[in-house]
Amino acid sequence: MLILAIDGATPSAGVALLDENKIYYEEISNFKKTHSQNLMPMIDRALTTGDYTVRDLTAIAVTIGPGSFTGLRIALGTVKGLSLATNIPVVAVSTLDTLAFNLNFNHNLVAVLLDARRNEVYTAFYDASGIYPVPISDELAISPEDFVSLAHQLMVKNNYTRIILLGDGFYPYADFFRKSFNDKLLNIPTHLILPRPTALGNLAIERVKAHSYSDIFSLSPTYLRLSEAEYKLKQGEI
Amino acid sequence: MDNIKILGIETSCDETAASIVQDGKEILANIINSQIPIHQQFGGVVPEVASRKHIESIAFVVAEAFKEANLEYADIDAVAVTNRPGLIGALLVGLSFAKAFAYALDKPLIAVNHLYGHIYANFLEYEDIKFPAVCLVVSGGHTSLLLMEDATSYEVIGATLDDAAGEAFDKVARFMGLGYPGGPLVQKAAETGQAGLVTLPRVYLDRDDFNFSFSGLKTATMNLWKKLERQGSQNVNDMAAEFQTALVEVLVAKTIKAANKYQVDNILLAGGVAANSKLRDLMAEEARANKLKLYYPSLKLCTDNAAMIAGVAYHDFVNGRFAPLNLNAYPSQMSLLKRPVDIVDNSVDK
Ligand SMILES: [Zn+2]
Repeated sequence: MLILAIDGATPSAGVALLDENKIYYEEISNFKKTHSQNLMPMIDRALTTGDYTVRDLTAIAVTIGPGSFTGLRIALGTVKGLSLATNIPVVAVSTLDTLAFNLNFNHNLVAVLLDARRNEVYTAFYDASGIYPVPISDELAISPEDFVSLAHQLMVKNNYTRIILLGDGFYPYADFFRKSFNDKLLNIPTHLILPRPTALGNLAIERVKAHSYSDIFSLSPTYLRLSEAEYKLKQGEI
Repeated sequence: MDNIKILGIETSCDETAASIVQDGKEILANIINSQIPIHQQFGGVVPEVASRKHIESIAFVVAEAFKEANLEYADIDAVAVTNRPGLIGALLVGLSFAKAFAYALDKPLIAVNHLYGHIYANFLEYEDIKFPAVCLVVSGGHTSLLLMEDATSYEVIGATLDDAAGEAFDKVARFMGLGYPGGPLVQKAAETGQAGLVTLPRVYLDRDDFNFSFSGLKTATMNLWKKLERQGSQNVNDMAAEFQTALVEVLVAKTIKAANKYQVDNILLAGGVAANSKLRDLMAEEARANKLKLYYPSLKLCTDNAAMIAGVAYHDFVNGRFAPLNLNAYPSQMSLLKRPVDIVDNSVDK
């Protein structure tokens, strides 16, 4: 088994090469460069460093969203191109699940937050007490205020005393979250806050074993939000 | 070089298109998945909606092209993709797909300027075009007059100083409630109307240079329309006919004047607005009167398609002009005179 994992869902771009026993390669770039310029050279380095080509892969894993619309489409466009050319199957994994997998055997409430702009975050809450994160909420696009009140509800309901926030959605509202959660908020190191392509690849392994693949012809990102124009049309403003 | 088959991919606006062209002239497949019905409900192209449709249909459209050409993926010699100008999010879908597809097949990648593609559409259909020639490029984003020395080198001798011709069609059509896309709808309305019953200006017709301006014509049309509406005497068909005539007469007159000044015998039309029948008819009439030979692409090759992308890329292939894996997309048109340096890479090194 050989899995190529590709992530372009957030401002960081990541590529990894791994199998069920071993990580062979991982590269993450978090500069303000476009994924369009970064991703293909990263994929090329991941494969050629190990003398592999695309045809040697068992599957390609990709973060399917939520996240930056353009970043998601660059990654998925890349994955569709690789897959159509070679017939290598594709596993699509939630960006939020991938980020939550940065923590395991952890008994605090885990929330993933991505910056959704327009004063919203993409979010989901997880029980990370086992090896795999288990979502305990839907994937949502909500305001930071709604996020905080939902977090408080879940903490009371599930007897959590502390909360950990993962993802780049933390930064724009950092002061607000610190104030809202106070000493209930646990600080974690920055290397756990980014989506890791190796986490994505690891999450894909069970699906590869089960041959549970996505159809690349119909596969589309999980946006969680309508485009502005579709939203207005629905509201009767167009 | 013979039997060179190039896959072209085009996603710069609202058509997801893939085509396979052999030796820069023989179209083996030409698939276009138009999003026009989707954007119609918004009254124009919505960039985010366009990008979403592109990512949904790109793999299907490319697979269809190979089916139509009856070819295996590995049978192609290169992948060409539009990387400018256009809607950035839309361009990035085609570009990302094209880079990965080429890489996985171990084939070179070629970056194509969309406008070079439009011009090249003529060479897909006619082999007897003589140079020098004057080419009028008219589309939703562009209006230029070019002096062509051969099929791929041009000098810009005039351009619009504000709106593109197609943009004026779209804005006026929307203003008069005709809908989107403006070009075909104005043309259709004009068929039952009569030009000259109302009067609109022929902007810049009196100037000696080869520049255009359509913003003034657009404003004049809107103002006159509002005035007639107040009087209750507006007629959308007559207004469409006069607007179309006012715009086309300037395009034709400047093109013919340029052909005479630069002493060329051949005129080319290119771009989406080259599909306009009034432009084709009037240009043909004037070309005949001035003993000039006129070429324009068939309707299917005037509007956005990938055959023109795969076609023009043949010349890059022959000259070894390949693009690197970190190729990016750009929303704006850079100089038509020079090929952008960042797409030139003589190695097939990926
Ligand atoms: Zn075009």
